[in-house]
Amino acid sequence: MGREIPDLLPGTLELLILKTLGRGPMHGYAIAQRLRELSDDVLQVGESSLYPALQRLLLKNWVKAEWGASENNRRARYYTLTPTGRKQMAVERQDFDHLIFAIQKVLNAT
Amino acid sequence: MRKLLLRLTHLLRRRQFDADLSEELEFHRALKQQELEDRGQSRVEASFAARRALGSPALALDEARDVWLWPWLADGVRDIRYGARMLARHPGFALVTILTLALGIGANTAIFSLINALMLRPLPVHDGGQLRFFGSTLATGSTGFTPNGPTTLFSHQFFRDFRRDNEVFEDVAAISSVLHGVSGRVAGAGFEKINVELVSGSYFHTLGVGAIAGRVLSDTDDRTAGAHPVAVASYSWWQRRFGGAPVLGSAVSIGQRTYEIVGVTERPFSGMTVGQSPDLWIPLAMQREVSPGWNGLENTMFQSLHLVGRLKPGVSPATAQSATNVVFRRLLTDYVGAQASPQAAANIQRASIELIPARLGRSIVRLEFSSPLTILMAVVGLVLLIACANVANLLLARASARQREVAVRMSLGAGRLRIIRQMLAESLLLGASGAGLGFVFASGASRLLVAVVSSSTEPVPLMVRPDLAVLAFTLGAMLATVLLFGAVPAFHATRLNLVPALKDGGSATSTPGRTRLSRILVAGQVALSVALIAGAVLFLRSFSKIMSIDTGFDKRNVLVIDVDPGAAGYQVDERFNAMMARVEQRVAQVPGVRGAGFALFVFNGGGWSLDTITIPGRTRSPNDHPGQVELNIVGRQYLDVMRVPILAGRGLSDRDTASSPKVAVINEMMARTYFGEPLPLGRTFSVDDDEKPESRQWRDVEVVGVARDAKSRTMLERERPAIFFPHAQHSRYFLSSLAVRHDPSAASGTLMPAIRRAVAEVDPNLPITSTTTLSNLVDDSVVNRRAVAELSAVFGLLAVVLASIGIYGVTSYGITRRTNEFGVRIALGAQRRDVLRLVLGETARLGAAGVACGLLLALVAGRLVTTLLFGLTPYDPSALAAAVLAMIAVALLAGYLPALRATRIDPLLALKRE
Repeated sequence: MGREIPDLLPGTLELLILKTLGRGPMHGYAIAQRLRELSDDVLQVGESSLYPALQRLLLKNWVKAEWGASENNRRARYYTLTPTGRKQMAVERQDFDHLIFAIQKVLNAT
Repeated sequence: MRKLLLRLTHLLRRRQFDADLSEELEFHRALKQQELEDRGQSRVEASFAARRALGSPALALDEARDVWLWPWLADGVRDIRYGARMLARHPGFALVTILTLALGIGANTAIFSLINALMLRPLPVHDGGQLRFFGSTLATGSTGFTPNGPTTLFSHQFFRDFRRDNEVFEDVAAISSVLHGVSGRVAGAGFEKINVELVSGSYFHTLGVGAIAGRVLSDTDDRTAGAHPVAVASYSWWQRRFGGAPVLGSAVSIGQRTYEIVGVTERPFSGMTVGQSPDLWIPLAMQREVSPGWNGLENTMFQSLHLVGRLKPGVSPATAQSATNVVFRRLLTDYVGAQASPQAAANIQRASIELIPARLGRSIVRLEFSSPLTILMAVVGLVLLIACANVANLLLARASARQREVAVRMSLGAGRLRIIRQMLAESLLLGASGAGLGFVFASGASRLLVAVVSSSTEPVPLMVRPDLAVLAFTLGAMLATVLLFGAVPAFHATRLNLVPALKDGGSATSTPGRTRLSRILVAGQVALSVALIAGAVLFLRSFSKIMSIDTGFDKRNVLVIDVDPGAAGYQVDERFNAMMARVEQRVAQVPGVRGAGFALFVFNGGGWSLDTITIPGRTRSPNDHPGQVELNIVGRQYLDVMRVPILAGRGLSDRDTASSPKVAVINEMMARTYFGEPLPLGRTFSVDDDEKPESRQWRDVEVVGVARDAKSRTMLERERPAIFFPHAQHSRYFLSSLAVRHDPSAASGTLMPAIRRAVAEVDPNLPITSTTTLSNLVDDSVVNRRAVAELSAVFGLLAVVLASIGIYGVTSYGITRRTNEFGVRIALGAQRRDVLRLVLGETARLGAAGVACGLLLALVAGRLVTTLLFGLTPYDPSALAAAVLAMIAVALLAGYLPALRATRIDPLLALKRE
């Protein structure tokens, strides 16, 4: 069994979503799938954390949502990175790296 | 900003948003299921597994939704929506609660809006904190003697000199202490009453009030007596009289002069007096023209002005105070001049000006009503407490009906706090609806209240329209109320033992704590009601005692008619005296009229008093001062019309003319205190008058009659020495009030037109400015007492109604709860009488406990209202007994109805229900 994402540092899920969307528009299910695949099934994301996170991104105007047709021709909501979102991704990425580096330093200290 | 917009759009498009999100979640779940099926799971298995993997869609939906709302708002909105649904399901409960709260909060808001208008709201002037009145400004009219104590009326000379010499005020303004209600003509139309305030040219500059159109008055409008026929209109008069149409340059005729309107003041400003609203401001330089019967700008001893000054920035009140008095005494010494006696010099050293903060303006109405209103505020506060107790009781009853619901929710994991918050949200909803409705009630009621505090002739112009302060008050009252009635039941409801509450449908389980609590609440209600009724009875009885005071005159069947001789072009001279005599004669001939007489003052119209009476053979004593002598100038029939009996000698008559020896009628008190004998007929006296020392008309006046003592200004005044002079011998002021005695059978509907015709026959141009009855004037003099009596009675009644609802509710609920018990009792042979006695006995015990506490409360609180009582003490046994008996009767009645129901319980049905 993998990890539920909310266990991670705050904001991590948003960063991962932004990263995932960097490759192009995707619907919610595809985002969850993609996260799982890329993390070799380590990162599991449930509806109850994915969709609130997407709403937060919408509210910040980092992504936008549009209804479109899915692979099997069902109506699905596709999320796209906005220019602000793209810029923000770099910022968040840097912050995250800093944070991880700092944590590593603490853990490696003798 | 963008976020705020997005959030708001979301709020408005919630339904669409929820639908979208649900669809999206369902899509997600379907794909997940597909995936699991592809891995070889069965359809059903896959469907469950997909659901399990994804967690609760409801939670996801909720949390996704919450992103868009502020979290506290999200929870609050949910709680309130839930509360609204609960209330909608119990409309009867909601209605009773909201109405109860609306009455309670409405009464409080109404009284508060009056207090706010009268006692709290600052004047709409620039930086009012810097303004200071010179003295209390409570005295109005004019004085003619050299100041010898705290002073508040000043001469025009003093105003000019002080303004020139002072160093602590930026500017000083003078205001005539009397608002002149004159008859004027606007743009050639007929006579109408216009309230004119005479002010110095510095008035608007001192107050920092500007014009919304045209200009305000300035020093250049107030230089030469009689030379500045200009006027500034008040905003409200402009709206009322002109409907806001262009007004600059319009002509208003007052007396012999025509004034040009040069400006309109800024909107809310209506002078420095709360409870007065001037229509026009006219320069003081026009005093003689506006008020031909009463003026004296040029006279140093005609002291008739109120002064208000604006302190220079940085000048401390103490510095200003001492600097002002230094200048005041120096100027007074100058005025008295070389002839100053040691006595006058000593007087001047005692004279002083107290600087009084003017931020709130001056108000006679405030003086009369501040203690009544404070007491009424306390009264309505208690009524609100009673209302809260009722609502708390209803909520308690409902809480026990909802025990099962609460138990279910708590066993499902809802936190206690969460449920308390939920219940408080429901209370808040009730409170807010009650407050909203109460606010509406209050705006209607506050207008009624203004009528209650007004005299019979015209309403006090008070701005009681709700402002921010009133709104804040209502909000505060609402929150306090919600906490009071909501908190206890909410905590109580969540403190329960889950298992029995769940096991049993909650039919008969009620915690004894709840019952005890609601009985305490009801007993409290009874206690407060007893205190309120006792207060109401005290006020009513003391009012009726005041109304039965012997006035010394007969107030029945007398009309009092005011005319405006100045508007008709009269001066104080022989022509005027002749006109008055003809009006008296002509009106007396009207069928149904028995007699008519003019007077300077009738009753409750102010007065004129002096203490500078010299009697040959008597030395003036310094003790004369407190016993000021009331002077009146009257037509020869006046004392007959008022039915003030002449005890000895004669009344005034036709024989007393300008050329005959000077005479006067005095009252018993005057005879006793100044002459030292009951009937000093034939003796003489003189009146010394600083104001017009040259006047000879007050010298060697002979006493020709002694009249019975009568009230002159108010019902509550002590007997004072009084002198009545015949107006034929004293042309000094306009006598503008005509008292007319008529037959009891004469209908006032036909009488008044006939009197108007009679006056018009003498002079068609003489305007009648007001008509009222003498008994109205008597009532008006105690309007504050009447208001307290009436309002406390109304609120006492409201308290009793609320308390009886409380008793009814708690008894009724107790019987429902004990249906089984009563069923058994009846099955075992209890008679109706026994059941009735049982239930009523409990109610009586409850009532007795409440009444006992209430009696104590009444005794303690009584001390606070002593000043408003007349002729009885707050411990008046009959008032307390009346309150106790009334409350016990009401309690038994309120308990009787449910008790009757208890006797009708069918034992079979009751036992089956078990």
